[in-house]
Amino acid sequence: MSVDLTSTSGRTILAFKAGRAFRRAGTNFVDASPTKGAIVLTNEDGLIHFMWKDRTTGEVGEDLILFPGDAKLEKVTQSSWGRTYVLKFESSDQKHFFWLQDSSALRDEEFVTNLNRTLADPNIIAIWDARNVYPASEASTSAAGPSTSQPSTVPPIAPATSDSTPAGTTPEQLAQLRGIVSSMTGFASEDELWLTDVLSSQNLLPLFQSHPELLTSLFPHLPPELIPSPDATPQQVIEVLQRTTNSPPFRSAVAQLDRALRTGALGEFVRSLGLPESAATGVGAFLAAIAEQARQEGGTEERMEED
Amino acid sequence: MSDEDSSGWQLTESDPGVFTELLKRLGVPYIVDDLYSLEPESLAALQPIHALIFLFKWFPESPDDEPSVSAGHYDSDFPGFFAHQTVNNACATLAVVNALGNIASLPAGPQFMDLMNFTTGMDPQTCGMAITSADWLREAHNALSPPSAISLDGLDLPKKSEEAYHFVVYLPVLGSLYELDGLKPYPVRHGEYEESGEGWVKKAREVIEERIHTYPTGALEFSLLALRDDPLPGMRRRLDALQGSSADVELSDLMNKIANENSKRERWAFENSSRRHNHIGLVHALLLALAKAGKLDSAKADAQRVMQERLERQRAMRS
Repeated sequence: MSVDLTSTSGRTILAFKAGRAFRRAGTNFVDASPTKGAIVLTNEDGLIHFMWKDRTTGEVGEDLILFPGDAKLEKVTQSSWGRTYVLKFESSDQKHFFWLQDSSALRDEEFVTNLNRTLADPNIIAIWDARNVYPASEASTSAAGPSTSQPSTVPPIAPATSDSTPAGTTPEQLAQLRGIVSSMTGFASEDELWLTDVLSSQNLLPLFQSHPELLTSLFPHLPPELIPSPDATPQQVIEVLQRTTNSPPFRSAVAQLDRALRTGALGEFVRSLGLPESAATGVGAFLAAIAEQARQEGGTEERMEED
Repeated sequence: MSDEDSSGWQLTESDPGVFTELLKRLGVPYIVDDLYSLEPESLAALQPIHALIFLFKWFPESPDDEPSVSAGHYDSDFPGFFAHQTVNNACATLAVVNALGNIASLPAGPQFMDLMNFTTGMDPQTCGMAITSADWLREAHNALSPPSAISLDGLDLPKKSEEAYHFVVYLPVLGSLYELDGLKPYPVRHGEYEESGEGWVKKAREVIEERIHTYPTGALEFSLLALRDDPLPGMRRRLDALQGSSADVELSDLMNKIANENSKRERWAFENSSRRHNHIGLVHALLLALAKAGKLDSAKADAQRVMQERLERQRAMRS
């Protein structure tokens, strides 16, 4: 069974933790349901699905197909608790209530704003501001791509369809934005890349051959039955590694991680890898954080890049 | 750490290696092999065959296009084992159970035997529910499928999932060829077969080929699997018996067959291990190793170049 890595059907655009709340019959009160859940926006063959998923069972409790411009998630101002939102429609009186469940409220506005921008125009891709997840005053890379290194003021981004340049955007950022925006339609800028291409067999084989001392660090992550024995020859070790990294399940995992990194929701996951939360803001940021992690762990070769 | 989906059945791949592993967990010494043709020679090479599994995905032009399969008759008095498919994701295991439940004197583990005893006399629907409620069976089934998608404190991001194939079992029961389809109300009886010569598989060939031809060309994606005795023990015994004899041709032929069979099992074992494993940790470890080796930047540059080429091709196609 081969996995189509280039298909974009069923692609998750963004996801964040949220519970549902229901109107108490005959009243204007809305009671929050304690069930842990998530709002997940996906793009399936060009249609935007707004789903609510139960995080404990994985079941989809709500799956709405939304027309651009029809729905909006608004804050419920009467809620004293402050994190209740309602999904409202232009086309009907339907209302769906949600409450945000992320342990920190710092990113609430960012999640909701990105959601609403996407609901208004699916061609917009969410822009995650690394400063919201990494609030320290040190220089933070813009969420957009791997080559921006200066601290940037990333203002609220205007919709792709407008020609006006958002104030304070550098030419680099503009190019990246155009690239990221167009990536929803299948095109991408020079800085767009896929993890699957970074980890191609063409890039991995030289690593296996030239740095045998680094390979033992990979063993704990292999399928347990396949871990080379201590008396395995270097050739045998390389063979196991090649076979594993060429296998469909491995390729599928790389593709999944790539897609997941574009949703901005992997904060806790990247922390579990020992990376800062800013690593969750995109593929470029993820790779940059890993490069930093390598430097910190020592053993990084400070020499001219091989080609 | 991924959340174990312990409340339901996970979708498995429909691969001979996966089926054979399931049989092992049920304590049944059979294997499942790919069938590339229904020709007499192909089937003869795999005998004794206990059941044929026909798996297919069908792509209709329109919803009304489903060919009516008129061959055979429903047998509401079927004396053997038949369970309805009550959980979609369990379809592969259900097909195997439907096949095994009708094989006389089946060698099997105690849990499976208990399940067969427990379901004796049940109607197909209740039987199906009993099968899918068997925790040990569900765990054996789920152990064969890939781990859940990247789980972030319960925020399972949807992974691209395979659509389920549909599975239909063909096997002989009491002198007639039966079709067991968990989505049909009863087993379908296709009539008697001749014991001599090829036996029941000849009738199965006719019925399956006719079925394939009722679909418009290209609309049907299908596979055939054979549930058969494990040939290795017999081959090894024969090899031992031939040692020191002068039957060179037979000996070398047999050794080839054994070597092929062993390498196929090795491949299945690798694929099953790989399938069950969560590779995300390896992805991170590889990227870290690339960085430490000073190769991450060039890998990124390479990825960008590949992407550019890809885009060029795409733009060329669209213009």
